[in-house]
Amino acid sequence: MTYALQLAVAGIAVGSVYALIALGIVLIYKCSGVVNFAQGAYAMVGAYVTYFLVTMGLSPLIGVIVSMAIMAGLGALTERAILRPMLKAPVVAVMMVTLGLLIVSQAICLAIWGPDQRAFPALFPSGAVEIAGIFMTYNYVATGILSALLSVCFLAFYRYTLLGLAQRCAADNSRAALAIGIHVSNQVSLAWAMSAALAGLGGTLLATLNGLSLGLADIGLVAFPVIVLGGLSSLGGALIAGLVLGILQSFTDGWLTPVLEDFLRAHTSIYSVGALQQVVPYALLVLMLLLRPEGLFGRGGTERV
Amino acid sequence: MKTRHLLLAVAAALVAIVVSLLVGRFQAYLIGAVAVASIGALALNLLIGACGQISLAQGALLGVGAYAAGNFGNAGCDFLALPAAGLTAALISALIGLPALRLRGLYFAIATLAAQAILEYLFKTVEPLTKGISGLVIKPMTLLGTPLVTDQAYAALSVFALFVTWLFMVWIMRTNIGRAFLVVRESEIVARGMGIDVARTKLWAFVASGFFVGIAGALTGFITRLANPEAFGLQLSVDYVAMIIVGGIGSWGGSIIGAAFVVLLPELIQRLGEFLNVPNVLSAMRELAFGLLIILFLIFEPRGLVALLRRLAPRIVAAAAVLLGRKEIWKPQSASRRRL
Repeated sequence: MTYALQLAVAGIAVGSVYALIALGIVLIYKCSGVVNFAQGAYAMVGAYVTYFLVTMGLSPLIGVIVSMAIMAGLGALTERAILRPMLKAPVVAVMMVTLGLLIVSQAICLAIWGPDQRAFPALFPSGAVEIAGIFMTYNYVATGILSALLSVCFLAFYRYTLLGLAQRCAADNSRAALAIGIHVSNQVSLAWAMSAALAGLGGTLLATLNGLSLGLADIGLVAFPVIVLGGLSSLGGALIAGLVLGILQSFTDGWLTPVLEDFLRAHTSIYSVGALQQVVPYALLVLMLLLRPEGLFGRGGTERV
Repeated sequence: MKTRHLLLAVAAALVAIVVSLLVGRFQAYLIGAVAVASIGALALNLLIGACGQISLAQGALLGVGAYAAGNFGNAGCDFLALPAAGLTAALISALIGLPALRLRGLYFAIATLAAQAILEYLFKTVEPLTKGISGLVIKPMTLLGTPLVTDQAYAALSVFALFVTWLFMVWIMRTNIGRAFLVVRESEIVARGMGIDVARTKLWAFVASGFFVGIAGALTGFITRLANPEAFGLQLSVDYVAMIIVGGIGSWGGSIIGAAFVVLLPELIQRLGEFLNVPNVLSAMRELAFGLLIILFLIFEPRGLVALLRRLAPRIVAAAAVLLGRKEIWKPQSASRRRL
């Protein structure tokens, strides 16, 4: 029981980071119809920028905030410079341009910081806290709380503020939004800026858990099962699906894999099932797409034959 | 296709085969690599360019071809290992395509992303067939009992396979099923209205494309003599989509030009880096150039190198004519752009 809770806590911490990244993708998709494969790149660049700022001597808190601001600028810049000229391009072209962005940002980080994994400066105090027999390091606690809090703030911003309302208008019907005086292209830039900032924070938090490397960009791809599960057009869905997938991965790693391996070793010559937790989300994704392409929380009318 | 074009293609293939048998090892290796990539790019262009189904599972599918060829080849299937690998990949490709019967556009692209991840996982774990992370060692391919060991032989074989692939692509687009691909790409509803069985058409596109991707993967396996999971990652899938974007989506000639471009660009940058003596930023430079090219092409020349060449051809000819002191040696054809 304690072990299960332990796994659940670890899953929630990682899952809330997934949610943060996935929220960004959903936001961009809703506002500009682009599925951003470069969200992982934002996360990676954000982590490297934070690393740079904190090693330059800024305090962690200010470092994270400045890095989020920089990421917001980068997000708006990519929208203006790269996605704007491609408004009428076919889906494959838009998808590819974001993949190109991913390659370029990985190359730039590689050129500046090299291929080796680096130790991330401690943003949170080290040590662990014990609650009801479960040990949690402050890293995990802080990551989980911070990203969950930010995700909820973000959803609240969308639901309750005037700017959030303008964003929703622009996403829902850009022509009507223009007609009532909303500057739609600014709203789209704002959406990109916000989601890049969210991803930057997500990447930073992930780096405190797993260390800093170019592999951080892979989280952008792990986020796809999350958004399909939650529904490509549902912000709340992304949040819940992120947590669900995080917990699922954690349980697959800590519980299913050992059980399965014991069984296979006893009955077959297969010795290991490998990184099963990395493939479970994708299996779930395929299943979800076949059974309910609009996701658990998405509305109908998604592209389906 | 006019007889002239066919003769031209036969001549080009023959020249390429003779050249690849005569040149040194490294040049032969490059010719082979370009030919193999061209086969894969043609197959992907059939799927994306002609039928409109975006696939990000190309890398894994090449892997299926390589592993299948390795297993069939090591079991002593002679040259039949190639078609056998093609058929295996065609089967897997049809499986990957199954979700396409219900999904369209981006949703399907995401489903292929999942297929890529799952296949990569299987490469690592199905040890009896793939030998896991260490990779499957592949014996040289035998052609009617004689093992092929030189790079030159593989280059010639790859060019021959490329020629056959190209013939198939040109042929299939002239059949009913090829026309049906185009209608499905433009609008599935129109296709259905015309009495086209959309699901079956899509499945055929996946089978045909998968077969040739499998052949390309098999040739890769025999040339590198090793199939390991790292070689067939998402990166490779992205490379192939880049090839057809840089070359020209929906253009056979463009697929080959794009493949040559994407394969030779790293070599060129490698040389440049050695020349300028900056080897440590080399891999970063390579990736940077690659990514920037994709972005620039998509923004400024979405129809690829083929369209660029077609636009520039009259100017080049005119410049050449001026240089030669002649007024007009070749009149460019009217600008009607041929699509598949």
